[in-house]
Amino acid sequence: MPSQTVTLPNPTGLHARPAKVFAEAAAATGLTVTVAKDGRAVNARSVLSVLTLDCHHGDDITITVEGEGAEHALAGLVSLVASGLGEGAATA
Amino acid sequence: MTATLTGQGAAPGVAMGRPFTVAPPVTAVPDPGPTGPPAIEKSRLREALAQAATELHGLAERMRVAAGGDAEIFEAHAAFAEDPELAEQAGSLIDAGQSAIAAVAAAFGTFRELLAASDNEYLAARAADLDDVAARVVAILCGASRAVDLPDEPCIVVARELTPSQTAEMPRERIAAIATETGSPTSHAAILARTLGIPAVVGVSGLLKVTEGARRLAVDGRTGDVHVDPDDQIVETIAARAASEAARRAELEDVRHEPGRTADGVPIELVANIAGRGELAAAIDAGAEGAGLVRTELLFQDRRTEPTVDEQHAYYLEVLDAFGDKRVVFRTLDIGADKPMPFVAREQEPNPALGLRGIRLSLRRPKLFENQLRALLRAHRDRAVAGPIGIMFPLVSRVEEVQAARSELQRVADDEGIDLAGVEVGVMIEVPSAALAAERLAPMVDFMSIGTNDLLQYLYAVDRLVAEVAELVEVCEPVVLDLIAGVTAAGDRHGAWVGVCGETASDPEVAGALVGLGVRELSMVTGALGEVKSLLRRHDLATLQQAAQAACAAPDAAQARRVLQTALGRPG
Repeated sequence: MPSQTVTLPNPTGLHARPAKVFAEAAAATGLTVTVAKDGRAVNARSVLSVLTLDCHHGDDITITVEGEGAEHALAGLVSLVASGLGEGAATA
Repeated sequence: MTATLTGQGAAPGVAMGRPFTVAPPVTAVPDPGPTGPPAIEKSRLREALAQAATELHGLAERMRVAAGGDAEIFEAHAAFAEDPELAEQAGSLIDAGQSAIAAVAAAFGTFRELLAASDNEYLAARAADLDDVAARVVAILCGASRAVDLPDEPCIVVARELTPSQTAEMPRERIAAIATETGSPTSHAAILARTLGIPAVVGVSGLLKVTEGARRLAVDGRTGDVHVDPDDQIVETIAARAASEAARRAELEDVRHEPGRTADGVPIELVANIAGRGELAAAIDAGAEGAGLVRTELLFQDRRTEPTVDEQHAYYLEVLDAFGDKRVVFRTLDIGADKPMPFVAREQEPNPALGLRGIRLSLRRPKLFENQLRALLRAHRDRAVAGPIGIMFPLVSRVEEVQAARSELQRVADDEGIDLAGVEVGVMIEVPSAALAAERLAPMVDFMSIGTNDLLQYLYAVDRLVAEVAELVEVCEPVVLDLIAGVTAAGDRHGAWVGVCGETASDPEVAGALVGLGVRELSMVTGALGEVKSLLRRHDLATLQQAAQAACAAPDAAQARRVLQTALGRPG
């Protein structure tokens, strides 16, 4: 199963709106997607589960996708997270 | 017994009335046991969750319409009701023999505990949001009404804390004010009270005990005071303030559908900023005389493919038709690398604010730009009542960009066989180089619209999202006012009208100064239209000009602002 770890660049981590953007994107892949932090993995389509991971700016999360076209879907999700999930990256 | 408690003012306004205590929503009910086999219970559960989600989307829409308020809270609540993991967990419990009510309460409870256990304040606060949604779902499953039965006479709603749903769903006309024992001015309930215009005080310790048996409360949403069975003197003071606020609301109501103008009759277009369909009704209702900034980004964001010309056409036409024959200014796509679009190939950038965005992106992705112009021109051709359309290019920094954009517009118009009569072409003045080049830009356009938010950010090298430096910028800086005066002077010389479409335009005294500097169109959030219109109608142009000149001559921003408040502020 393709899997990749990415560092959260956006100011509020995976909270509220960014968590919803991420969960919707995971659902849109039509595949089984999990997201894990510190070894705890949850269903990435579930906003509530994603919130309970309590992911902050700068945390590393691991996204895993299972099914047909998983590589492509994973690349899309990773780039969505890297781009800041609609919030922009707090780098500059 | 007379007493005064003090909490924190959360929404301005004063009111008096009988206290009415509202209980917290019920999240746990006695388990009635399954009403049928698991398959039946599961379908009841699915229906209840779906109904809750529908109600919450509806509430979000209502908040958007009410003064363009913040709908995000209810969108988040709807996402909780639609959560697949929640439904899955509740489903397993039903399979194990539980009723839908017990199962859904337990599933919400599991997530609630995980969130409440967090030492993160933000997540702990989401636990209350979950309770709010759980109460709704449980009530739906029980067939119980969640409506709070308020007295007919407007009352002071007293509670330990109100949930967002309670605040938004109580009939507005029966609430004089809200007072809560806990809560903060930044809580969702407080934000909603402000959106709905309900005076509110929060964090009043001892409130429930002291108001028990009280006959009358007087609430001051600015100072945070709650007077319990107030004496005659307080009653008189509060009644006088309530009367003056009512008079002020009536005055705003009187001019709501009157045109924007100065006291001596110089017309000033007061128009709305529009970001999506949901904001149209509120803008028209607030008396907007058109739209000065229709953002088009929403159509493009969060999608895998580019919106088609037809899709764009439908949206642009809907906005145009909402405003009848009034002028509607569309800003072409303004998306930077911080909001990636899968259908536009681009590099990641270390500093998107200075990168490929606005007109720069449009000119380098010609097909994307052509499709948007095509859709805008077709919408202009197809609008029900003829009227002017503005096409405005964002982030212009050089004259060559305007030449290139104009010639592309001409080419698309020729290709479509659409006459450019009635099409006004404009630029956003938000990059300092454009403000300084106003004399060169003005002859090339029909209008220039100053985007004060970005202009300040670029002019002062200050990121408004960085709290520690955000306070360093202030539109009343005499330097900024001078720069704006330069733009309006260039516009006057070359027959291009000048507008302002930043937050600045919604600050009444500053808006007055902008008109004094020669601005003739102010585009703002819908909620600000009334106060700005009221201020302009109180002063003649000469007064506004004098005030603006005095502000330009002030040594710094703080003194410039004081000058404006003294000259233009509301008496008393």
